[in-house]
Amino acid sequence: MTNPFDMLLGGFAHVLGGGAVWHALWAVLIGIVIGALPGLTATMGVALLTTLTFGMGPNVAMLVLVCVYVGAIYGGSRSAILLNIPGTPASAASTLDGFPLARQGLAGRAMGISTAGSWVGTLFGTVILALFAPSFGEFALQFGSYEMFWVAMFGIVIAGSLSGGDPLKGYIAGFLGLFVATIGQETNHAYARFAYGNGDLAGGLGLLPVLVGVFGVAEVLSAMRGPAVKAVSSKIDSVIPRIGDVTKYWKTVLRSGALGTFIGAMPGLGEDIAAWTSYAAAKRASAEREKFGRGSIEGLMAAETGESACVPGAIIPVLTLAVPGSAPAAVLMAAMMIHGLNPGPMLAITSPEFIYQIVAMLVVADMVKLFYGLILVRPLLWILLIPRARLMPVVFVLCTVGAFAITSRLFDIWVMLGAGLVGFILRELRFPMAPLVLGIVLGDLLDKNLLRGLVLSGGDVTPFFTRPISMGLCVLTLAAAAWSIPGVAGLLRRRRAA
Amino acid sequence: MSEAAQEAESPFDGEKAPASPRADLVTAAVLFALGIAIVQQAWNMPRFVEQSGTGLTAPGIVPGFYGAMLSLLAGVLGLRAMRRGGWAVRAARAKATDDGRRLLTAAVLGVMYAGVLVGRVPFWMASALFVFAFTTAFEWDQGPERRLRRVVEAALIGLGTGVAVTMVFEKLFLLRLP
Repeated sequence: MTNPFDMLLGGFAHVLGGGAVWHALWAVLIGIVIGALPGLTATMGVALLTTLTFGMGPNVAMLVLVCVYVGAIYGGSRSAILLNIPGTPASAASTLDGFPLARQGLAGRAMGISTAGSWVGTLFGTVILALFAPSFGEFALQFGSYEMFWVAMFGIVIAGSLSGGDPLKGYIAGFLGLFVATIGQETNHAYARFAYGNGDLAGGLGLLPVLVGVFGVAEVLSAMRGPAVKAVSSKIDSVIPRIGDVTKYWKTVLRSGALGTFIGAMPGLGEDIAAWTSYAAAKRASAEREKFGRGSIEGLMAAETGESACVPGAIIPVLTLAVPGSAPAAVLMAAMMIHGLNPGPMLAITSPEFIYQIVAMLVVADMVKLFYGLILVRPLLWILLIPRARLMPVVFVLCTVGAFAITSRLFDIWVMLGAGLVGFILRELRFPMAPLVLGIVLGDLLDKNLLRGLVLSGGDVTPFFTRPISMGLCVLTLAAAAWSIPGVAGLLRRRRAA
Repeated sequence: MSEAAQEAESPFDGEKAPASPRADLVTAAVLFALGIAIVQQAWNMPRFVEQSGTGLTAPGIVPGFYGAMLSLLAGVLGLRAMRRGGWAVRAARAKATDDGRRLLTAAVLGVMYAGVLVGRVPFWMASALFVFAFTTAFEWDQGPERRLRRVVEAALIGLGTGVAVTMVFEKLFLLRLP
């Protein structure tokens, strides 16, 4: 069964069989609730649900996690529209027009636009994934240790320079993440780095406890630090998405879908940047620019389409290069590894059908999301009213279970606490979290490939710069780094203008 | 939509305001020291030159590079903070004491639960106690009116969480709990 169409059909048959739809139904629902609750993010949701999937088969586990991811990104817009509070950072752009629409008494219509935009966006990104991931995966087979080193380096640089407002802090966060990944035994000589005779440290810091700490514990602390958020109830008009809203702004939908998918495929950028970029591009191209920020249907559509298209986009590099496109995709990748699936270039050889199964999972998740978008408005309003003092301790308990469950070591709970505290402090100091996560995830890839490359070349560093793909990736990495140096981008722009 | 909604505050709003130059300067100093410490530790790691034939595969190379980069970037951060007035001595501001108290409460309760109770008492009991203490502590300030009811509700939520989490994870998903 090598025909892509057959594999796609096989993927759907696989996903839709054996009660998997039931799993999709509950997982998308949990995702939407997590996304809608301010303070709980998609990354935290995927990390916490990873624990629940340990006892499941790999395919059901992936379906559950993909559904949570898709649901959480969509769910964030509920609170963005109704409360002017983005449920996840990805939905921040949706507050700009979603909340003004709600204040005009059009909360239902805004949610309908959000549902339509999000549904089309995920579908658009999934089509791109289905079309390009298999061929890109085959191309990535040419990547050796030298190229994979640069892929990891490029990921850190691009995430560092673009994921937050301050590239310098982005790079620092990235290198901190890379350093964390070096703790424990290295592969060449089995030497335990930074272990100081401690057996637990020699085993390295588990990815999941660190991620649960950075995104779970740190978020609980952030949420509890501020004053209580005032919840409101609202009269809801019809939430049925209007086809006219999509067809009228079809150019915006297509542009946002393409931008969202592309940004998703860039390592470490993620849904929030996809939403803001799509929103900004829509505003620039719009004939109704003055409505943006005052309840523009086009603006809300652009933000929702962009952030939702980013989800399949972020999975493309996971499947083809083992490099996550966003923070939730990083956790998804860690979950794939835990379940014995080896994402990366070899996936195209070992299990090419898996890419199409992921496509099917995304489509199923998208359809279930649409279903909930139509029926799940009033119950979500009640959920939004749960006081944080009652919700956050439960989240903390789930974080503790999540950190412990993978290896049953109490040490991992301490890792979670430490990572949570450090993550909270870094967040308070305005260090972006995406490069930190990407550093932790890519650290192993970078380290292994650098050392393996040096062993293969007998200590010669020139293959890192002279092999054609290596050279191209090196130039890209240096260009991305140079772009973030203050003044360089401006200088290039002035030259081009002259 | 009521006006109260306009007062609602996003938990992500704080991320938009940049950190103060003073905070950046202190951070830079800590990170610089961390970077130097990493380089020093990496330098002292064995090189395994006999086995590999090249010192370039020594275990300390990669972390040493990260440590050097951290120091370098922390240095740039420090210089930038100084240029922006990080040296300037300002009177200490007594603000956001409530924020600090809430943060401390959450952090202490979290460490007491995950670091002390978990592993020493049955998980359901530890979780029930934690959720009860957490909810009660944060709802105490809402005034004496209906306080007893809130405390009872917190106890029920705690008990429910402890039992439900234990049942779901241990019985349904067959996972070991601490």
